[in-house]
Amino acid sequence: MAAKKLRRAQLSQEMCERLSRYQITTCQDFLCLSLLELMKVTGQSYHEVQKLLCKVSRACAPKMQTAYEMKLRKSVNPSSAFLSTTLHSLDRVLHGGVPCGSLTEITSPPGCGKTQFCIMLSVLATLPVSMGGLDGAVIYIDTESAFSAERLIEIAANRFPAYYDSDEKLLCMTRSIHLYRELTCCSVLKRIMSLEEDIILKKVKLVIIDSVASVVRKEFDTKLQGNLAERSNFLNRGASVLKYLAEEFTIPVILTNQITTALSSGPGLRADLVSPADDLSLSEGSSVSGKRDSGYVTAALGNTWSHSVNTRLILQYHDLPTRQLLVAKSPVAPFSTFFYTIEKSGLILQGLLTFFKLWYSTVRISPDRKDQTNLVWEGTNPALQPIRVRNTALKDTLHDAALPSTTGETSRNTSNL
Amino acid sequence: MQREVGTLPLAPALRARLAAAGFQTAQELLDTGPCGLSKEIGISREEALEALQVVRQECHGDTARAAGGSGATRKCTALELLEEEQTQGFIITFCSALDNILGGGVQLTKITEICGAPGVGKTQLCMQLAVDVQIPECFGGVAGEAVFIDTEGSFMVDRVVDIAAACVQHCHLIAEAQPEEDHGKALETFSVENILSHIYCFRCRDYTELLAQVYLLPEFLAEHSKVRLVVIDGIAFPFRHDFEDLALRTRLLNGLAQQLIITANEHRAAVVLTNQMTTRIGQSQSTLVPALGESWGHAATVRLIFHWDNTQRLATLYKSPSQKESTIAYEITPHGFRDVQPPAGTASTEGTEPNPRKRPRTEEEKQQ
Repeated sequence: MAAKKLRRAQLSQEMCERLSRYQITTCQDFLCLSLLELMKVTGQSYHEVQKLLCKVSRACAPKMQTAYEMKLRKSVNPSSAFLSTTLHSLDRVLHGGVPCGSLTEITSPPGCGKTQFCIMLSVLATLPVSMGGLDGAVIYIDTESAFSAERLIEIAANRFPAYYDSDEKLLCMTRSIHLYRELTCCSVLKRIMSLEEDIILKKVKLVIIDSVASVVRKEFDTKLQGNLAERSNFLNRGASVLKYLAEEFTIPVILTNQITTALSSGPGLRADLVSPADDLSLSEGSSVSGKRDSGYVTAALGNTWSHSVNTRLILQYHDLPTRQLLVAKSPVAPFSTFFYTIEKSGLILQGLLTFFKLWYSTVRISPDRKDQTNLVWEGTNPALQPIRVRNTALKDTLHDAALPSTTGETSRNTSNL
Repeated sequence: MQREVGTLPLAPALRARLAAAGFQTAQELLDTGPCGLSKEIGISREEALEALQVVRQECHGDTARAAGGSGATRKCTALELLEEEQTQGFIITFCSALDNILGGGVQLTKITEICGAPGVGKTQLCMQLAVDVQIPECFGGVAGEAVFIDTEGSFMVDRVVDIAAACVQHCHLIAEAQPEEDHGKALETFSVENILSHIYCFRCRDYTELLAQVYLLPEFLAEHSKVRLVVIDGIAFPFRHDFEDLALRTRLLNGLAQQLIITANEHRAAVVLTNQMTTRIGQSQSTLVPALGESWGHAATVRLIFHWDNTQRLATLYKSPSQKESTIAYEITPHGFRDVQPPAGTASTEGTEPNPRKRPRTEEEKQQ
């Protein structure tokens, strides 16, 4: 409510006129002044000015609610608190699915499945509530022109063959996915600012931006002076508008990000703050442990952006065709990892059977425990989490100690489904 | 009584007129009386009366203060302060290592700042404190309420429910182990619903709303006198974008800090702020430092920095007037903010918390 005009803050007419002579028209201008300055511009005494300050503050302060009221409101409508991803283990770990009302980021190297995941989530959002969807439209802001409508229909038809049994239903679904192609930072920001009206008009229940990183990295070269600050500014502004939209309408907002190489001697930390980069045994993908001046791959857009997103999912390569999904940052979930492949019907979580053939060759695991790949791994700073990229020597990776902390925990992963 | 006219909290125009008319001290004004004043400087009698009432109030306040009575400035001996500090409660964090380095927990009447990298556990600690401040006195708590000002949207009610449930269970176990009279009565009112209804949440979307909320905080605290904790989660976020004028930012932040100190002192509440980290580009390398600049470092009395060491979360006490600088490790479990448990095999003495370290966390996940 910063831009709220003072006359709506219930100040008297003459006071507003007097203030506008000093170019103070909004609540923001008023509250930024010190008490002495306010006395000067309003011509009032000290106590009067304090009363005015309270009046203006009341006009733009947020409403109070107790945590109990928030919980009641959520429990009244539990299905609207999450968008189930239909990847059961992931949903369980995230307490229901992709949370509504906050920003979720999906980071991965190219070709791992970000866009596939986004397309799959678009289909899920249009499903009726009874099937776990949000029964609403989707706004898809595409900056890389990677969205494929054919693939959308393929995923829908294959994932829910019983529901999408006719062409009509498929076409109806495609009608509720609104695609915007924006190719510059400016236009993306403008589009984000104008989303509020679209969301109300089209009854949108999911906003996807694929991808934030591509426009930002095209236009901001962080090596040039001043660009880093500008970039942070742009990202922060975008993030705060998106957070506002997510909370106001209680919808999930999904953003995708790319990867970058961080040099371990680059963002080095102070001596008393240890850098995870110094211990390269953590970076599974990097094969240069011990070399201090080599880099590792991590999420792009920097530290500040990692603060702004509430949930971060990392997709990375494991071995062809399997990939790995890491829950790297979440306020409700611990660090977890899952394996998946990309099939006709979208992403499918892999079961234990495939991966522990080497270890439990005689154990028969029943097929309905397919997606119990709920391994715990010890994650680290989400902004510096190393990500495995595709490398050419794929044969070697199969026999690596690729799975993080698999001691003992695996045998305990018979969690009740 | 000899106070100069220019220092009185009157409207500037009025002050200018008084100065032009030659008035120098407050005593002169009082001697002249409202009618004489109105004739001399050409204002109405009502305005003159108002001005004189203000002057009288100010002077009365001055004399009262000079006599050592209560007022905005407090005067006491160090002995009185020592006694006060020793009886003062701390808000425990359930991580005994952290409580130890803080000297007992988060102190009331002080501002504590928590800086850290993303995802390290700042908001988790804030939510833990919002629950812990409500622990009844017979269990070692301060039996207060909490105000949570959220600027980043990271307050998750479900998580608070988990933390509150674990806390209630912990207290029940203590009551069973060492039963005392008050325990039963206290436990009746100490439930998850009660805890949640005493956490007052405000969602501030930009710095204007944050400023407005902090201006209104004294009023709110006067109405809710049991509040002993004010958390501002994310003081950095609203100030880090859209601010070209850094001088204005510094001024606003300092003003905020001042008001929070006053609020903390007057209401005997602890103020906890969380801050982000930012990259400072140096000549040969860049370092991660707390955001909002050097001058902000002076605002908080106690500063904690949370950081990662590979997969271990560490907390460093970076600034404190009474404790020495040290680092400890901590964990975030499904029950909240806890100590790092020793590896499975050593019997836990209290038997209250299930051993969360080695067991995969997924098993502990609450079923929705």
